Amino acid sequence: MRASSRLTITRSLALAVAGALTLGVLTACSSAVGEAHRGGSESGPSDGGLLRIGSTSDIVPATIFTNSSDATNTLIGAVYDSLIDYPLDSLEPQPRLATSWEQADDGLSLTLQLRDDVKFHSGRDFTSKDVEFSIKTWADPTWTVQLQRTAAAITGFDTTDPHAITLTFDHPLSNVFDLLDMLPIIDSESIDELKQGKAYVGTGPFVFESWTPSSKLEFTRNDDYWGDEPHLDGIEVDIVSDPQAQVSQLRSGQLDLITGASNRDLETLGKDSKFSVTGFDGAAQQIYVGADLTNPNLDDLELRKAIAYAVDRERIVDEVFRGVGTPINLPWPDYSPAYDAAGNETYPYDPDQAKGIVTKLGDLPTLPLAYPAGNANYEQVAQIVQANLEAVGIKTELQPTEYSQFIKQLIGGTMGGLWILQHAYAHYTPSTLAVSAYPFNADKNASHFESAEYKRHAEAAWGAPSGDSPEAIENYQALNKDLLDNLFLIELALLHFQVASTPDVQDFTMSKRGELDFRATYLAD
Amino acid sequence: MSESLIDVAAPEHAAPQPDEQFDQRRRPSIWSALRRGKGLAGVLLVGAVVALGLLAPLLAPHSPTEQIPGANLVGPSGAHWLGTDEVNRDLLSRTLFGIRTDLVVVFLAVPIGAAIGILVGLVSSWWTFTDVVAQRVFDLVLAFPTLILAIALTAFVGPGLRTVFFVILAVELPVFGRLTRTSVRTVREMPYVEAAHVVGAGSWWQLRRHVLPNSMEPLLVQLAVSMSVAVFIEGAMSFLGLGVRPPAPSLGSLIRDGVRNMYDAPYFAVGPLALVVALVLGLLLVSQALAEARRA
Repeated sequence: MRASSRLTITRSLALAVAGALTLGVLTACSSAVGEAHRGGSESGPSDGGLLRIGSTSDIVPATIFTNSSDATNTLIGAVYDSLIDYPLDSLEPQPRLATSWEQADDGLSLTLQLRDDVKFHSGRDFTSKDVEFSIKTWADPTWTVQLQRTAAAITGFDTTDPHAITLTFDHPLSNVFDLLDMLPIIDSESIDELKQGKAYVGTGPFVFESWTPSSKLEFTRNDDYWGDEPHLDGIEVDIVSDPQAQVSQLRSGQLDLITGASNRDLETLGKDSKFSVTGFDGAAQQIYVGADLTNPNLDDLELRKAIAYAVDRERIVDEVFRGVGTPINLPWPDYSPAYDAAGNETYPYDPDQAKGIVTKLGDLPTLPLAYPAGNANYEQVAQIVQANLEAVGIKTELQPTEYSQFIKQLIGGTMGGLWILQHAYAHYTPSTLAVSAYPFNADKNASHFESAEYKRHAEAAWGAPSGDSPEAIENYQALNKDLLDNLFLIELALLHFQVASTPDVQDFTMSKRGELDFRATYLAD
Repeated sequence: MSESLIDVAAPEHAAPQPDEQFDQRRRPSIWSALRRGKGLAGVLLVGAVVALGLLAPLLAPHSPTEQIPGANLVGPSGAHWLGTDEVNRDLLSRTLFGIRTDLVVVFLAVPIGAAIGILVGLVSSWWTFTDVVAQRVFDLVLAFPTLILAIALTAFVGPGLRTVFFVILAVELPVFGRLTRTSVRTVREMPYVEAAHVVGAGSWWQLRRHVLPNSMEPLLVQLAVSMSVAVFIEGAMSFLGLGVRPPAPSLGSLIRDGVRNMYDAPYFAVGPLALVVALVLGLLLVSQALAEARRA
């Protein structure tokens, strides 16, 4: 009995210190896993090495073209090429698989000259037929691609010349180059395997090797790449859904680069000489509060105005995003042709004004406020928004929702109340946002906002001959007024992508699409 | 613990009722176990944590959800003894109120789960058919590790204290059901139960008057153990984001936030961790004291 008693006491003590030990182990843990994975020379780029990346969300083959996860973005950026590239800070198309282009004066067609030295990873030559196949794939609604309408507006394909293609449009497309920047060139012969997640065949700098669901993606260097041969031997993307675990793995040397760290962790890592934090100013995203107008209370514009006045955007930027962002009312970055500095001041932080509106509205029921679970940034923003709203008399109930479920609800338009999320595309041609992005699409959006005016302005901006024509800019101003007057989506802040890495990871960048670009990346000693 | 047929059949005025005799023998043993040694240590630890939780509205300097302007993740100081969190809330206040969440789980969910489990175990084990059905259902529930069960349940009802409550009910019900069944099968073979059956006592009367009272001691020990396990379940679920929803605090969710901020604010999780240790250790010491008293 005594032995048993001692054993039980030992168990009790073990249980008691287990929590404390967990913390200690996490902080003290170091690994030699990363020691032997790289080679190189003392000066200049060196060849070889495996780059290990931590990603928060796994790929979903059925929605592989929706850019809705960091692993998906890494896969698309590594395996596929696009026809053109936008620089991070402008909308001037640069050649990639298309070497030059000529747009018809009426804006109804575009002829692209294509590279003739490009092969798919399968060994097959890249031709104009592949461009046609890729655009038609994106036009297929089953893939739920956000630029589906733009792809579907391309109705004619002249592929007589295998190294040139003429695209004919339903109507002028001011955002056609946005599509050509985002569209990956897909191999038609392996599309069935792509749907099942078994093969991703492109023409890009890295070859897809394997996908272990919820675990990792593996890529090797494409030795026959048409551009400069990549330095890295390969890339391994580890799915680490907990951002904090990503940080710990970076600190312990098990990962070289992470994409999911919170801004506070990025700030801390940036102060540590053993790590680098890299920002990409042109690949912006916006965090917003969405309102589902099928909720009878949120259908009231006055309540949405009260919410817009009630939220302290400055505090969110300063305390959650550690100053890496800008408070906004409109989504556009300052180089966008739709940028409106005065418009961004429409709804300043004014709790008194918000309280006055809420008082007039009378008693309000508790509103659901959803956000993606497990993300420290979202959780903090949601709690600040909740406190701001409660301070003016609007009660909310926080609903942390698993990310893939959240995206499913967003695409399906079943949010039911308020939600907090980030959107992209405002750094592209403004019409892309208004006719493509799930939260803004004038045809069908997650807020169920319907307006003939908004739709007319969106269609007019979309149908302008170019994205920066006077006609297009006039419509952007009208769109800005629609967004500010209707507030179906309340912008909070414009944010910039940041990733953390070890200083050994050199020369990586990010495309405007938000895909990390490792074509020139090497691992220093 | 045995009682004779003579005792059961004896006139009321001749001697104390058998249950009274049983109570007189058992209660001093249990109470004395909790008044000395590890039993007392356990009671003091649990009592201290319970007192802090109950007195939270008086002791906490701020509301647990109040966001204090400018106090963003500041360290321990005179104004904020345990510091503040990343959305400017006083950690001492959140910790004190967080105890209440655990108290609900420990002192409400576990006893309810235990009561239902005991009832199901008691009733089902009396007849062969219900016994087989109940045991297979218990097998099914017990086959799931607790966290897997929690994740599965969260997928249907979403995260929150209600989910923690249901998970603990689901986990404790078969534990107590099975333990009760074991006791029932032992006790019902006792001569005094057979005697009661012979003189025409009904099944429910036998269960209530003989079987249940004689099964209570192992169940009390299990109750204390289950309460300590419940603290861990709440902590683990909240740590994984399956527990209480923000902004409500719980010890588990505070530890999770502390781990998130361990490089910037290593002090963050100290308070909640100490309280979890105290609560779990206290309950385990109580259970050990009860177990030893039972065996004595």
